[in-house]
Amino acid sequence: MKTMLLSAHSITKKFPGVAALREVSFDLQEGEIHALCGENGAGKSTLIKLLSGIHPHGSYEGRFEVNGSEAHFGSIADAGRAGIGVIYQELALVEEMTVAENIFLGREPVRWGGLIDWPKIFRDAAALLDRFQVTLDPAARVSSLGVGQKQLVEIVKALAKDSKILILDEPTAALAEHEVLVLLDILRDLRKRGITCIYISHKLEEVFAIADRITVLRDGSTVVTKKAAETSRSEVIKHMVGREISDLFPRRATEPGEIVFEVNDLSVIDPTTRIERLHNISFKLRAGEVLGLGGLMGAGRTELLMHLFGAWGTRHSGSIRIGERKTLACSPAERIQEGLVLASEDRRRYGLVLDHEIGFNLSLSSLNQFTHAGLINRKSEASSNRHFFDSLRIKATGLEATAGKLSGGNQQKIVLGKALMTKPRVVLLDEPTRGIDVGAKIEIYEIINRLTAEGKAVILVSSELPELIGMSDRILMLHEGRIGGEFTRAEANQEKLMAAAMGQQHVELV
Amino acid sequence: MSNSSEMNSKLNFRDFSLLLALVAICGFFGWMAPEFLGPRNLSNLMVELSLNATLAMGMLLIILPGHIDLSVGSGLALLGGIASVLTTKLGYPAPFGLSVGLIAGVLIWYAKSWLIVHERIPAFIVTLAGLLVYRGLFWLVINNETVPVVSGGQTNLYSLLSSYYLSPLTGYVLATLVTLALVASFWLSRKQTPDSETSFLKFFVGAQATFLFVIIANQHRGIPLPALIFGIVCLATYVLTQHTSMGRHLYAIGGNAEAALVSGIPVQRVVMTAFALMGGIVAITGFLLASYTGNSTTDLGEWMELDAVAACVIGGVSLRGGRGTVMGVLFGALIMACLINGMTLLSVSPEHKLIARGLILLAAVWMDMRANRS
Repeated sequence: MKTMLLSAHSITKKFPGVAALREVSFDLQEGEIHALCGENGAGKSTLIKLLSGIHPHGSYEGRFEVNGSEAHFGSIADAGRAGIGVIYQELALVEEMTVAENIFLGREPVRWGGLIDWPKIFRDAAALLDRFQVTLDPAARVSSLGVGQKQLVEIVKALAKDSKILILDEPTAALAEHEVLVLLDILRDLRKRGITCIYISHKLEEVFAIADRITVLRDGSTVVTKKAAETSRSEVIKHMVGREISDLFPRRATEPGEIVFEVNDLSVIDPTTRIERLHNISFKLRAGEVLGLGGLMGAGRTELLMHLFGAWGTRHSGSIRIGERKTLACSPAERIQEGLVLASEDRRRYGLVLDHEIGFNLSLSSLNQFTHAGLINRKSEASSNRHFFDSLRIKATGLEATAGKLSGGNQQKIVLGKALMTKPRVVLLDEPTRGIDVGAKIEIYEIINRLTAEGKAVILVSSELPELIGMSDRILMLHEGRIGGEFTRAEANQEKLMAAAMGQQHVELV
Repeated sequence: MSNSSEMNSKLNFRDFSLLLALVAICGFFGWMAPEFLGPRNLSNLMVELSLNATLAMGMLLIILPGHIDLSVGSGLALLGGIASVLTTKLGYPAPFGLSVGLIAGVLIWYAKSWLIVHERIPAFIVTLAGLLVYRGLFWLVINNETVPVVSGGQTNLYSLLSSYYLSPLTGYVLATLVTLALVASFWLSRKQTPDSETSFLKFFVGAQATFLFVIIANQHRGIPLPALIFGIVCLATYVLTQHTSMGRHLYAIGGNAEAALVSGIPVQRVVMTAFALMGGIVAITGFLLASYTGNSTTDLGEWMELDAVAACVIGGVSLRGGRGTVMGVLFGALIMACLINGMTLLSVSPEHKLIARGLILLAAVWMDMRANRS
């Protein structure tokens, strides 16, 4: 038997209100590539944060062992000393510096009492790049490199610190296909040199192409660890989603009316990277209907919603029709006038003005309703605020309470109330139940039911498949910016949806 | 409603400490230089306050959505200078000169805001550049000379801006009208909010302050016209920030610009409108200052942008945006005006006055940062 390089025993990590990890056990053999799989929110990132010292020792229960002796990671530096190097999805390179400077960032060699030894930096960097067979110029500016090359710089940077264990969090999310192949080759090569690797990815092709063993996490617990050779994609998918659908979802379907919203062959370019992010998306939405929109992290759900709302992206092709009219508007203000509204996923960033009162936030999108001759009629504004405050059952001392001090569920209700006060025909809900407790979730579901009963159309984005199946009349799964599959409520099940989200056409169910 | 009364008491605490500071400052100067509280000086103080505070109201509109304008000191000299040159040197009627200055102000500020909003150049840099460019343009316009606002011995609308005083009777009529308006707004607000005690107090103190103001002004020559103009700007700013959707939008943009955009607020248009209004206010301040000084001279309006920022920050306007009221700015401007006027009376040398102004600005921002941290 190979030696256990690292093992985790009964790790439990609680955040206020939720347990992110429950009794997770996990081990890493020296020289293996070990893949971690799981849905969004299964606990992969939390586990990595414990291993890398971001959540320090003492903030969780259970213990980690490195080489058989107990390890306390009190800080990121501690984890580094234990030989753990993490490469995050968001790269942490200084764009304006050279490759060599980045590799030695924070531990530049010095000579003559404090002056940086520049020749040594470039010499050592060249040697390192050479050793790991990465063909990059150490003097090149990082900003001039492609995403894949930057990733390689990150890897070399981690290895330069004598890391024995390399953790890669979704390393291929932003890579082109040929770059993925280069990365996988380099990882295989590192394996030969005895570097151990934890590989986190949604892409099962990659996982099966490279991993020796696979551990599946679901809802904060380890479900299974298996040798890659002894399992299959469909089995992994099944383990990832095997959650019970309870009757938590009180969807009352209504008879769909006429088409109120139509998207035709939409392709959208990311304004910062100038890369096409959404490809040829088409769908229709009827009055009184809930259209579920699912997909893995980075599939483009939020981007699609933000684009439909006029808040993100450059249209490359396609059209959007609200009601009978093709819309040419390109700002949220105009979309709201046309009857479309968005309740954002990121409440604190896009949803609320946190320092201000509940009332201020509720009426923020609808002030023109209360404005006569240029002045706001505070009385009718207050009564409208009061109506939504009561009907959404926001729990707070009153409309004057500061929005930032409320619980997630109540903040979400304010965001919803603000959206609904605009009297929309189409409501876009991005993860409306993220991070809120079960009671508040059910209230949100009831609000969705009420909206469709009033004949409004709803697009519901959710990462939770049971919620998606439970609350939608129809479901679209996005996969890498495309529609990966469309399902009616009757034909949808978690395995099918997950397979569509991962770009798998056919999955034999085990 | 425990929460709302708690918030009110907090607000009152801040207002109250500003009031205490003001009383202490006035007491100190009144004790050191008895003429500080004399009718003549108080009348001068009203004019000086009007200049600073009018500009500070404009600054409030810029800081609320999270921007800043450092160009107003040079800008007001330039706009006043344009009016002076048109009126005195080129012989156009004063109303024409003033209109050109006002329109130029609005247009220049609107164009400048385009750089800030659409090209995303930080307001700090755009207006810092403006500070230099406008000063240079101003010198070109007045040809490095001292240009009076009116040819010797005559009066025109421009010179009357600062030398006209309302008759005592007009003053009392105005005070009565203001009091009636306060009564009306008190009645209206009592219907809407249950917290009538504080609003009654505000109404009562407001009415008293108005009459006190008119009595003091009438002891000298009556209400100076700049004070009336400032009163109108102040009222307009109050209504804009508290009773219109544009005001609400300014607070929302400063509080969370991304959320404001997603809430359907036309962020760019709102900020550009705020700058255009600022341009108008800068022009008005420029006219008042040139009129008060009697002419456009090369150093007119220097450092006034910093006094306006200081007045805002002392009055509780957050430099990050999203927080601040007209009332607070009024108090802040009062404190600044009293300090500067008092120091002049005590014959503090210009060097020391400049150092004191700098330290006050620093202390005010320091307090603002501490308040934000807690």
